[in-house]
Amino acid sequence: MSGAIEATRGGPTDAPLSAHGLGRSYDGYIALGSFSLDVAAGELVALIGPNGAGKTTFLNLAAGLLDPTSGGVEIDGHVPGTIEARRALSYLPDAPVFYEDLSLTEHLEYVAALHEAEDPTARIDDLISRLGLDGWEDALGAELSKGMKQKASIALALVRPFKVLLADEPLDGLDPPSREILFQILAETQAAGAAIVVSTHRPDVIAAADRCVAIREGRLAYDGPPDPAILEEIFDRSELE
Amino acid sequence: MLAAGDPVAAMKAMRSARRRRYVARTDVMEVLYRIYLVALAAVFALAFLAGALHEVPADPGSVESIRADAPAIIGIAVAVLVLAGLRSGARGGPLAIEAAEVRYTLLAPVSRRTALRPAALAQLRTATLFGALFGAVVGNFVFRRFPGTAVEWIGSLAAFGALVPFAVLGGALAASGRRLRLGVASASGLVLVAWSALDLALGWNSSPATMLGDLATLPLQHGADAWLAAVGAALVLALLAAGLLGIGGLGLEAAQRRAQLVAEMRFSASVQDLRSVILLRRQLASERPRRKPWLRLRLGGVRTSPRIARQSANSGGRFTNPVWRRDWQSFLRWPVVRVVRVVLIAVAAGGLAVGGFDLTPVLFALPGPLLFIAALDLIEPLAQESDHPTRRLMLPRRSAELLRTHLTAPAVAMAVVLALAAIAAAAIGGNPGLALGVGAVVFLPLAVVMVCAAAVSATNDPYEFALNPQLSQTITFAPIVVALIAGFLPLFVAWKVGGGNSARVGAVVGIDVVLFVFALIGLAGLTFRFRKREGEAL
Repeated sequence: MSGAIEATRGGPTDAPLSAHGLGRSYDGYIALGSFSLDVAAGELVALIGPNGAGKTTFLNLAAGLLDPTSGGVEIDGHVPGTIEARRALSYLPDAPVFYEDLSLTEHLEYVAALHEAEDPTARIDDLISRLGLDGWEDALGAELSKGMKQKASIALALVRPFKVLLADEPLDGLDPPSREILFQILAETQAAGAAIVVSTHRPDVIAAADRCVAIREGRLAYDGPPDPAILEEIFDRSELE
Repeated sequence: MLAAGDPVAAMKAMRSARRRRYVARTDVMEVLYRIYLVALAAVFALAFLAGALHEVPADPGSVESIRADAPAIIGIAVAVLVLAGLRSGARGGPLAIEAAEVRYTLLAPVSRRTALRPAALAQLRTATLFGALFGAVVGNFVFRRFPGTAVEWIGSLAAFGALVPFAVLGGALAASGRRLRLGVASASGLVLVAWSALDLALGWNSSPATMLGDLATLPLQHGADAWLAAVGAALVLALLAAGLLGIGGLGLEAAQRRAQLVAEMRFSASVQDLRSVILLRRQLASERPRRKPWLRLRLGGVRTSPRIARQSANSGGRFTNPVWRRDWQSFLRWPVVRVVRVVLIAVAAGGLAVGGFDLTPVLFALPGPLLFIAALDLIEPLAQESDHPTRRLMLPRRSAELLRTHLTAPAVAMAVVLALAAIAAAAIGGNPGLALGVGAVVFLPLAVVMVCAAAVSATNDPYEFALNPQLSQTITFAPIVVALIAGFLPLFVAWKVGGGNSARVGAVVGIDVVLFVFALIGLAGLTFRFRKREGEAL
């Protein structure tokens, strides 16, 4: 598999990620309100919006980490949290989390084994090499710098097969060469047929996306091509870096 | 791990590898030394109690009254614990899963029931072991006073002690697995409490919790009641089975939130930072102050007091005692759950005092630590002053004096809690005169001791003596030990002294001197601590 990310398992689906009227509120506060979105196989969607707009809430709902208060979402035709949905979805959260007593390689081996990845050794070696994690294979999570933790988290999201990739601010903490590598990997993943949703504030991610979905105050504010002129009408420049 | 054939095998392989690594890192000699110390202390304490108690057989009237009423009273206590378990389950408890376990294992295509079962069983194992051990110790003392052999009492109370955690954790697991709403969980628990209370009032044995009470008093029960003990045990096992079977339904949102808080709590506990543990536990239980107080205070005092209102007006509207007022403002914003907890603690303390007289004086060891927990709630305003030294040092008052002033309102409130405990003991037990007499004699000094002990604990800086772990541990545990002794002594003396109520109450008056000394030591310790901190800061 060297040099390429094997993203999918089984045949392609038209909309591996489909949300309809999805909502989540907390004691009357609406974090996400009646949000609908279909993401096709091989599509890269940039999810944008100011802080607190509801981007992470949507990703957590799709990943099955939050329960919706209205509407629903399907991952490859299954409700989030079911075995099938968990098999199809990979989630790259904004805050990396590690077992405190497992090394980077042990993490990767474990996640690959949990998801029955084919040829895990080659996959792990490839990710470690491309993400510049060589020499850190035996490091524990606490020994990694912020950027290294982010790279390790990216590797953990990509080491396993999936049909849908949800990434929350994946470029945070990465240096420019690492960002380039991540863009390459995302392009390969997309080409392999995965549906990708990337939550971001970065113009370079928006430019690389096929489609841009904007959220403001929990509501869909824009869904269309990543046209900077239209986006500037919706948001202040400061909100988009 | 790569050799593991399927996801479940991979999970098991990873966990066993982590276990091996943990064992390899553990200092075996250190663990053995700690076990040796605890065992030695336990043997000495039990030998001392066995020697000091000289228990005499209970009279037939007491035996009959305990046979008839104790199951329902014990049942109410069990039902309250199950209620707490159900509420914990509705908030995602009782399991505390690592954040990484939620992120990687629970989001993987692995049965969550399979993934979570080992953690649940480990928690059950520990709780059951301690419950059975405690039950056996109590049984070892109870058999000396009541009909039945040592084996019967130790066996039945050990079984009861083992089954109570099953009931509590089983209920919690069932509530979390089925994602019960907090209101539904609370209502279910309250129904069980009310059912047991009804059993007590009507002399029935119908509630499952009362049936567990039958198990606790099995050597006294006969006929159908003895069989009901078996039914109670079977129902608890069924509840546990239901909890374990439904464990996979756990909500990840609650699991993630708990994972973070519990990790912080474990760290705080490892450095013996009791204050942080309390604050984190409140977060875990979503225990927030009420936005609207139960009663609004005016400047100078309670709004219903015209005298204080006049005083306030005469002073030009200035606060007559801002610290007193601030403390009551804090109490008046207590959430319902905290009010209920403190009231339940008072009732439980009274019940345990009665249990000590009727069953075995070993139970006198429990009211003190329970009341200490209530005192920790009451001492919150003072603890907040300690938490924010900069704010405190900006005030135009000596820290030690400010802290002492903060003790008044909690002491008054604690006295009310102790009065409640005495009233509960009078209502539950067969000798209200003795309960109220002992309560009247000790409630004020004991309130001051409890509040001082809680203040010493809540204002403790776990890093102050980091280079001297033994001293640090002593300072951490001393307030709890003092609370235990302060709660034990008056009850033990009242039990030990022969004669009528007046002779017993008279003997307890002497204990006030001991409590007074405890309170003075606490006050002196607090004064020294805050003078030292102020001196270092300025």
